[in-house]
Amino acid sequence: MTDVSIKINGETRTASVPPETTLLKLLRENFNLTGAKLGCDVGDCGACTVIVDSMPVNACLMLAGQADGREVLTIEGLATMDRLHPIQIAFEDQASLQCGFCGPGVIMSAKALLDEIPDPTPAQIRDALAGNLCRCTGYTKMISAIEEAARALRAESADRAA
Amino acid sequence: MRAFEYIAARDAGHAVALLAEHGLSAKVLAGGTDLLVELKAAAHVPHVIIDISRAADLKRIALTDDGLSIGALVTHTEIMRSLLIREMFPALVAAAHTVGAVQTRNLGTLGGNLVTGVPSMDSGPALIALDALVTIAGSAGRRQVPLIEFFIGPRKTVLKQDELLTGIIIPKKNLGKPAHFLKFGLRKGQALALVNVAASLWVDPDKNVFVAPRIALGAVAPTIVRASKAEAYLDGRAVSPEAMAEAGRIAVGDAKPISDFRASAEYRRELIAVLTARSLAGACALANAKRLPGKQ
Repeated sequence: MTDVSIKINGETRTASVPPETTLLKLLRENFNLTGAKLGCDVGDCGACTVIVDSMPVNACLMLAGQADGREVLTIEGLATMDRLHPIQIAFEDQASLQCGFCGPGVIMSAKALLDEIPDPTPAQIRDALAGNLCRCTGYTKMISAIEEAARALRAESADRAA
Repeated sequence: MRAFEYIAARDAGHAVALLAEHGLSAKVLAGGTDLLVELKAAAHVPHVIIDISRAADLKRIALTDDGLSIGALVTHTEIMRSLLIREMFPALVAAAHTVGAVQTRNLGTLGGNLVTGVPSMDSGPALIALDALVTIAGSAGRRQVPLIEFFIGPRKTVLKQDELLTGIIIPKKNLGKPAHFLKFGLRKGQALALVNVAASLWVDPDKNVFVAPRIALGAVAPTIVRASKAEAYLDGRAVSPEAMAEAGRIAVGDAKPISDFRASAEYRRELIAVLTARSLAGACALANAKRLPGKQ
């Protein structure tokens, strides 16, 4: 068994799992965090995207043991009791998701992008979403929602600075 | 996935010792973007997975007496962000950017990409065009092999069961050598190359002729290949668009593309000619930009 201790959404969680357990399986089955989805399970679709130490990764391609000691942010870590995260608000306002299966992964990719680049160009947004497949053909509304969320987040940080 | 034993190696030396102990029954895990896919599909998995992803000594990018040294564990994202590599070898940055997508580039490593030995890999051509060497460590000691000789067939390399690829070196003589990489895939993201091409060259500033041109072609033969006949044609020849187009046509003869579900051999041959000429033009443009006053 592999012992892991991971800071997930700000809270340290521990588990003892078989070595072949992926981070995705650990999140979904041990910690009941089912926001990250099991899609292709081979790193093509991006439905399992989570942020590990500030970087978006495919949770299906990482062993739980590799995440030991790291910080993981999942879709469950974005909203607070008071409100949704600005990216989630923008996706809701613009009806950017249809079936929603790709949503958690897309939003985590967007979160990582906006953490690094607060004012991305459409080309940078497209590049950031290249690893997230949406088969409802909803990319246009996702891109405009990410631009809207970027504006909202910049306004928030300007307010905080003032 | 079937069960295996998991051991995290502290550093390269530890990993080599673990390989010596478990050799035949072990597999090395670096970024995992290829290995985990393989393990999930495999009927038989290795008994032991040696995880080297925390070996800090394999993550360095540095200029050494030998040239530019890139640790095997440097990820594609780290290559894209390295100021040293961006300044010196934009072609490597371009190649890293075409690998998979953000998520896989954050995990996937340069060394991991090379050891797959897949002929369509994006990391190989630009490195081969720059005469890169790989450093290999094993119980018998260290050795260096030119990257072009590292690949011996589709998914086959010279790496032995008890050996670890520890790093990549671009030799000193090629530091800053103008190079250009182009990939043609069916999409920008998550697409394997139908053909990828890298060219590197110097331009003699007085005679305006090609010096030491190198052309590497991916996805068009059992391994990445050098377009040797095209290189020989260009060496010492006056720089012109016509010469580059002719080199592209000659390069087609240096490859043996196959037809598969992604593209026909005929289409790939056309791509080789076009992409070779364009990558040569890209490298020439970089050579000229470096010659501008103030950019010495």
